[in-house]
Amino acid sequence: MNGATVARSDASFAAGLDVRAAEVCFHCGEPLPPLDIPSDSDGRRFCCPGCAAAALWIREARLEDYYRFRSAPAGRVAAEAADFAVWDREDVQREHARDVAEGREIVLLTDGMRCAACAWLIDRALSREPGVVEATANAVTGRIRLIWDPRRTHLSAPLQRLAELGYKPYLAGGEAAERGRRSESNRDLLRLGVAGLGAMQAMMFAEALYLDTAGEMAAATRDFFRWVAFLVSTPVVFFAGWPFLAGCWRELRHRRLGMDTLVAVSTLLAYIASVVETLRGGPHVWYDAAVMFVFLLLAARTLERRSRRVASAQVDALARSRPALAVRERGDGSCETVPASALSVGDMVRVAAGEALPADGVLLDASASFEEALLTGESHPVAKPAGAPVFAGTVCRERPARLRVTGVGDAMRLSQVLRLVERAQAHRPRVARLADRVAASFVLGLLLAAAVVYLFWRWHEPDRAFEVALALLVISCPCALSLSVPAALAVAHGALAKIGVLAVRPDALDALARATDVVFDKTGTLSDGRLALQGVAVYGELSEADVIAVAAALERDSRHPIAAAFAGHAIATSASEVEEHPGLGIEGVWRGRRWRLGRADFAAAREDDGGLWLGDGRIAFARFALAEAERADACEALSALRTQSLEIHLSSGDAQEAVIRFAQRLGIAAAAGRQSAEAKLADVRALQTQGRVVAMIGDGLNDAPVLAGADVSIAVAEGAALAQRAADFVMTGPTLGRIPAAIALARRTREIVRQNLAWAIGYNAIALPLAAAGLATPWVAALGMAASSLTVTLNALRLSRMKMS
Amino acid sequence: MTILLLLIPLSLMLLAAAIWAFAWAVRCGQFEDLDTPALDMLYDDPAEGQGDAD
Repeated sequence: MNGATVARSDASFAAGLDVRAAEVCFHCGEPLPPLDIPSDSDGRRFCCPGCAAAALWIREARLEDYYRFRSAPAGRVAAEAADFAVWDREDVQREHARDVAEGREIVLLTDGMRCAACAWLIDRALSREPGVVEATANAVTGRIRLIWDPRRTHLSAPLQRLAELGYKPYLAGGEAAERGRRSESNRDLLRLGVAGLGAMQAMMFAEALYLDTAGEMAAATRDFFRWVAFLVSTPVVFFAGWPFLAGCWRELRHRRLGMDTLVAVSTLLAYIASVVETLRGGPHVWYDAAVMFVFLLLAARTLERRSRRVASAQVDALARSRPALAVRERGDGSCETVPASALSVGDMVRVAAGEALPADGVLLDASASFEEALLTGESHPVAKPAGAPVFAGTVCRERPARLRVTGVGDAMRLSQVLRLVERAQAHRPRVARLADRVAASFVLGLLLAAAVVYLFWRWHEPDRAFEVALALLVISCPCALSLSVPAALAVAHGALAKIGVLAVRPDALDALARATDVVFDKTGTLSDGRLALQGVAVYGELSEADVIAVAAALERDSRHPIAAAFAGHAIATSASEVEEHPGLGIEGVWRGRRWRLGRADFAAAREDDGGLWLGDGRIAFARFALAEAERADACEALSALRTQSLEIHLSSGDAQEAVIRFAQRLGIAAAAGRQSAEAKLADVRALQTQGRVVAMIGDGLNDAPVLAGADVSIAVAEGAALAQRAADFVMTGPTLGRIPAAIALARRTREIVRQNLAWAIGYNAIALPLAAAGLATPWVAALGMAASSLTVTLNALRLSRMKMS
Repeated sequence: MTILLLLIPLSLMLLAAAIWAFAWAVRCGQFEDLDTPALDMLYDDPAEGQGDAD
């Protein structure tokens, strides 16, 4: 049965996601690494040991149906195991967990829950953990409700299981915030329900009035029907349609006319006109138009929100914190663990290797190296001597460090970057959206036309003036016009999610379609940060293959980033007596000879030139050129972007020379290195003042201000949480081909929106003169309105059938 | 036509009942996740489904 299940799951995965099983990870669907591919007994291949372990556990738990049911690939499983012991602390749980009858309950957020199958898998996997009373996962909101029995298990045990399956847990906001979020989404749903039920009833009563074509109905019966329709449509217009009315009020207060104004004005017009007609016993009422309009718009908006909510739930999860704790040294040298927020200036703090610093400080005792990628984008650890300033958020590497805290809270460099993000977001060039512009002129034009027509009929035939003006306003039906944009957006967001790009902000698609320049951050987007061997220059009697073998032997067991460049040339025997000299290089004996690999002055007694040399301490044997490798699909994605006539820029925090070399390999002319967050933002601003529309793609915290300041921005899934919060789109994996695909989809969406707007305006161009001439009968109006709304909706649906290359 | 005086209030009462039922379902979280429960029944539980699994 196992074999059959696997074969079936392979087939459905391949068919559903249109990827060839041979080239991508079975579990997460990302491209396989060039070497050392982990695989299992069935020949399923994985991108990393984490994915392999997750797939193995899923098989052993007999949950392989997950692979059959899923409609999106899983998230990549982080290789390093996280430690969840701090989650067991009472002070961490206090605000987030509560006691229930069966034990304790907590709501967790997680990223990587992409489809219903994920939620199903989490449900099953957690329920099997000992001590877990109940677990319910919700794929739409990205939340997991977990009830566990504290006497039988620690919270950290099920969390560990969750992380091993690739779903990192985060703390959700406090209990009150969670309740607020739920009641808001419930109210939205209730509005849609009231609109749907009410609209159906109101239309039924309207039907009776419409079918009285010969006007034989007694006036009393007719008025009775009208009053009943009034009764039913009033809550629809004012309760269900409240978001539009409130939006209209907001727009009017800011003295601009937008989509909400258009919707509210047309709903209220149809409604008030009907009330007036009911009171004075006029020939027509339009209650049905008002309620149908509210219902259709709410439905389109709900669909669009739903697809965006999946995205924002993920970003939510990423932006939330894990419990942040710090180890503080007491006066007598003993240690205590305290929340990071409890630190104050002057405290002594210990940081273990691999952990992030809880506050800014000065390094004490010995030198240590720190990975400052979060702040500077530099992906390699930077060695700092004792007394040097170090920053919160940077990660301590190789050996533990002690520091004296100099800045906490707002004074931290990290907080300054955060403020920069907020400022950049506030000063983002605001582009009036096409639909809003059209809506504004439409509202104005319509009101003017109504006034002119009314005045004309006053003079021509005063009896019919009011009736004709009213008919004009109702028949112009901005229905199609207001539906054209939300319908297209709803479909486009769904299609985007399918290719692995989640839209976070509603108006970002339009900006993406208009983008003229794409600015990449190097590390994490175009490159994966790993070093690769670019070339070897041989000086001694050894051949190229020999010197590579020597270097590979020396670096075999090293964890230094340089070792990764030689990992592909792994050899059976490693060198003996290997000793690392921090900042200089590595030394060891291999095949009876002592070798040194590192800086020129260390390895070959030459002047340091920044290259990596192999020698015996006096004589040089070889010089290796190392550079960051580009992602396998980088070239392809860039050429796809160029054919979309986009200009490509590279802006990186890494060393100038390395960036230029990297850019040359990819054929990027505009490249700049050593860029701080401020400098990157200034560059983007400069482009914007030239009238260019800039799309920024980045992943680090130092990119966050630029992501927020660019016209439109895409953050890479594995990047810093803050970068994702500042971005408009989040990619669910590092595959770069998604960027040109998303841009193509955005452009197509814009085209569809334009077609829809053209159609809606074209309809009005015919309907308005008819109404102005007093020729529009109720059934002509009803037919026209229905047909135009249906046309724009069907046109929008074409987006979902667009082929993603 | 006097039957309308009975039927229309009746339909309005039904409408009120339908809205009340919908509001109840929303409050109970029936619409929170529409996709996961659909998968549950597709899964052969190994404890019970051993016999008829292929």
